Amino acid sequence: MKKELLSLDPLSRRHFAEKTAAAAFGLSLMPSMDEAMAATTTAGKAKHVIYIYMGGGMTHLDTFDPKPGAETQGQTGTVSTGVAGIELSEYMPDLAKRFKDIAVVRSLTQKTGAHGGASYWMQTGYQETPAIRHPNMGGWAQKALGKMHPQLPDTIYVGGGGPGSGFLGASYAPLPIGDPSKGLPNSKAPVKKPRMDERLAALEGFNQSFLDKYQTEDVQAYSQFYDNTLDFLKGKDLDVFDLSKEKKEKRDAYGNGFGQGLLLAKRLVKTGVRFVRVTNGGWDMHGDLWNRGPGKINGFSKGIATLIDDLKAEGLFDETLIVLTTEFGRTPKINARGGRDHHPRCFSAMLAGGGIQGGQVYGETDDKAISVKEDPVTPQDFSATIATALGLPLEKRIFAPNGRPFFVANGGEPIMPFFS
Amino acid sequence: MARFALSTLLLLVFLTSALQAEDMRTWTDTQGREVEAKLVGFQQEIVVLQMKNGQEVRFPVTKLSEKDRGYVRENAPIDRRTAARQIDQMVWERLKEANLEIKQERAAVLANKALDSAERNKQLARLAHMEKMTHPTAPMTDEQFLRRIYLDIAGRIPTYEEARDFLRNPNKNKRAVLINQLIQSEAFVSHFFNYYSDLLRIRDGISMGGFNNLKSGAYVDWVKDQVRNDRPWNEFVTEMLQARGYLWENPATGYLLTDYGMELCNLSNTFTTFLGTEITCAQCHDHPFEDVYQMDFYRMAAFFGNLDFKKTPGKEKMASINAAKKKFSQQAKKAEKNANDVNSLLDAYAMYIGDGAENQIRLPFDYQYDDGEPNGKVSPAAYFGDIIDLEKYGTPREAFADWATSEKNPRFTVNVVNRLWKHVFGIAQIEPVYNIPGHLDGQAQNYELLKFLESLMKEVDYSVKDFLTILYSTQTYQREACHASPTLDMIDKGEFHFPAPVLRRMSAEQLWDSFVAMSVAKPEASSRQRRVLEPYKEIMATDWSKIDFAQAERLRGRFNNLGNPAVMMTESGKKAQGPVMIRASEMRLPNGVGSFLYAFGQSDKKFIENSNTDGTIPQVMLLLNGSMTNQILTAKSRSVVQAAQAEDSHDEGIDVVFLSILSRRPAPQDRDYAESLVRGGQGSAADYSDLIWALLNSHEFMFIQ
Repeated sequence: MKKELLSLDPLSRRHFAEKTAAAAFGLSLMPSMDEAMAATTTAGKAKHVIYIYMGGGMTHLDTFDPKPGAETQGQTGTVSTGVAGIELSEYMPDLAKRFKDIAVVRSLTQKTGAHGGASYWMQTGYQETPAIRHPNMGGWAQKALGKMHPQLPDTIYVGGGGPGSGFLGASYAPLPIGDPSKGLPNSKAPVKKPRMDERLAALEGFNQSFLDKYQTEDVQAYSQFYDNTLDFLKGKDLDVFDLSKEKKEKRDAYGNGFGQGLLLAKRLVKTGVRFVRVTNGGWDMHGDLWNRGPGKINGFSKGIATLIDDLKAEGLFDETLIVLTTEFGRTPKINARGGRDHHPRCFSAMLAGGGIQGGQVYGETDDKAISVKEDPVTPQDFSATIATALGLPLEKRIFAPNGRPFFVANGGEPIMPFFS
Repeated sequence: MARFALSTLLLLVFLTSALQAEDMRTWTDTQGREVEAKLVGFQQEIVVLQMKNGQEVRFPVTKLSEKDRGYVRENAPIDRRTAARQIDQMVWERLKEANLEIKQERAAVLANKALDSAERNKQLARLAHMEKMTHPTAPMTDEQFLRRIYLDIAGRIPTYEEARDFLRNPNKNKRAVLINQLIQSEAFVSHFFNYYSDLLRIRDGISMGGFNNLKSGAYVDWVKDQVRNDRPWNEFVTEMLQARGYLWENPATGYLLTDYGMELCNLSNTFTTFLGTEITCAQCHDHPFEDVYQMDFYRMAAFFGNLDFKKTPGKEKMASINAAKKKFSQQAKKAEKNANDVNSLLDAYAMYIGDGAENQIRLPFDYQYDDGEPNGKVSPAAYFGDIIDLEKYGTPREAFADWATSEKNPRFTVNVVNRLWKHVFGIAQIEPVYNIPGHLDGQAQNYELLKFLESLMKEVDYSVKDFLTILYSTQTYQREACHASPTLDMIDKGEFHFPAPVLRRMSAEQLWDSFVAMSVAKPEASSRQRRVLEPYKEIMATDWSKIDFAQAERLRGRFNNLGNPAVMMTESGKKAQGPVMIRASEMRLPNGVGSFLYAFGQSDKKFIENSNTDGTIPQVMLLLNGSMTNQILTAKSRSVVQAAQAEDSHDEGIDVVFLSILSRRPAPQDRDYAESLVRGGQGSAADYSDLIWALLNSHEFMFIQ
């Protein structure tokens, strides 16, 4: 059969590949999402995602998966969530108070202890290979659902980089915002208005003969980008990046640094951006955990609690999925430097809003939080859960430019109890 | 078609091995007449013979005896102009042929009564576009040539002086002279290194193989040297695939180290990069639409199955290293310090790339085909090309390198000429470049031309500089870029036949380096500043048993600073002194999120050819409002504004600005716009800034005509 294929022209070969990929890649074994979806009511409700990434490997024992009484627990105490038998770390009372709104995953597990590979896997659903680059979830959503905001990119990264748009290309690329308090870089014109207008008029003049001669798609796309950006810079959407427009009390409630990123994320979501990733780095606590950890944990808990309240006040909570995740957990065994090391065998994450049924915990680790005891969740499953909240088709093949087929969430299965 | 094949053959006959025609000999023509002379040239089917008295005579090759024609065949020098013309001829023939085919197709569409008018119009529009793409564009003006040849070979626009001098130069041969001068320049090293860095995923500032003590700068230096010295492509590849030893002693090991711990992926990358063949999918299953089986993949992988990254030579060596580490730990403890940092430098001695006795490659645990057992051993074998006799080689990967880079390998030479053609013309003969089909005929845009390029590459002994020089010398190259873009469908079906190079946006590096050319007088002055290899070698040659911890710490400090990238401009953390204007190839690779190069699509160096030239909002904002534009407006070392103001008149000032930024003088309508900005305020610095700003933001600046 394969010999015959060589005589087909490239397009036919590609077509053939699409047709046969299902069989060749064993996809018939995948569960039918239709069946799963039929039983649910809240899947697909999320229109936006605020994706909080805890860079460096967030300790699970000292946040979402404490083991009171275990020798591995260290100095971290617990606080009640109001639900019997479910406690969170004592450093996060604000989230514990809002437990009915959040869903916790305690049984994430993957296989690599290297930051780069692990965070790539968590955020794309695929293991890193030198052969191809996979998109982040924002890129997948844009691919499946189309562009959402007329001018701004659909994916915006606040406070740190992460996986890009991969094989989907630059029109899916995240817009990076370094410091949320400083706003969008280079958004201020270097000269005042009448002079800027003169410059722009001359620019238009200089461009005319070039545009008349070269009518290529690249040139047209580039012109489009210039025009869009100029419109954007003149328009009111630019204000969305300006946190000084917010009241001081609200800015303070979110907290410094990372909290300001959450506030920017909310503003971006409100203006129609689909996927905002906010980085909270510095979790690689190999030493000195109980000096560095408590304040940090308390801060993000407070910030996210404020975000939940704010989204609710704006009526955006039900259509905005909040995701909190990390690349791996940290060793239950406390090392000689008073820290914990890399622990990919089990770790925790959190989901809220966007149709997620709060007040529950999925999965369980053993009594020392060393390994998963029940309901393991892989990075693919976690991606599938986000995709399901957004209503993305898990079984739709997307072809990379090299002709290889890929699926959003890489064949993972969503955590369905979160959608009932 | 027959005519084509014939002309190709003729040329192949003429372009043969290197010039060894020093000797006087007796020549005989078809009528039996004889003359004593030596061969000094061969062009356009004319043999140039020099007689004893020094006089040159020209002779049609067809008038020579069979034996003499054979001699010419063996000894004639390659004439770049002849080769370039031959390429032009083949391109032209193919364009004419395509034009005829399109006309016939149009007639068929018009005659087809079954088509409704909407469908007919759609077809006609498609054919009209295709027909347009069979007409060569106008030859470039000197101004257009100047700008593009600088961007393509030197990787940047010409400086004001370079532009002025070239345009003033009355020499008729000045284009050929410039091509030659640029391709021998340090600017070419910088630009072509960027190309290799993208292709081979060469990164710097990132530890190799996860080891902080392997300075990839050593590999970077080495690759630049290969470009500088025009190392033949086949030797360059062979050396990387066969490399053994420590990185600092043999930096060619950098290629294999790049994928340390991911040897199967390295094999896929090797195929993609050097053989134009994407076989990644066969790692997990038979290729769905090519003749590559999963077993083939593992047999190929088995060539690297003996590869051992920790083949430290000699137990004694390791014992002395361990003794030194122990000594440093003790001394550090006494000084209340930690020896970890120093000792980790010594750990680099474990990374010695060699070959073990046993082949480690096994079939996957879930191998599903009946030609092998799960977890079974496989022996190395090639699935195309020559059969490899392993007995003849010391290690399987030596055998592989020999097979892969052989002139007889059906894909090795085609791959490199196809990639270089793309580098010069913007689109390859076979797209995508990583998917060269088993049967070339019918797949390439121009099969005869591709075969010709393949033979040409062998002819120039895989000299990349010679090959590129020939391509840049063609009229096909020296035309204004295509005014329209071929559709993806046309490229996919091989229906684009190179009426001219396609219009391209500058790469991130070309753009950055052009900014450098506008702000410093000698853009390449800084290159070779950051040599890592020599000091690295020196440090690692230390006899650790003879030094104490304090000395070791000093060495470690020196090591840490080796090849430190120059201060970079990042949007978030602007340095007080402004961006350091050095060539992109001298900066950190890749330059990282938030940098100018990142914003304009520099490759992350993790994947093959992962750069892009797509437009994004941050790019536009960087040019409209960003500090780089500002840098040009206010550069202290060399200011376009100052140069313009130094001229006697506004007209001349405007000329300077146009030459500095667009490498041309202003057209009449440009002058109107420019004057409206400059005269409005009587040519103040601010007025010239406005003009410069507008030109830097123009499409003409960004796109390469």
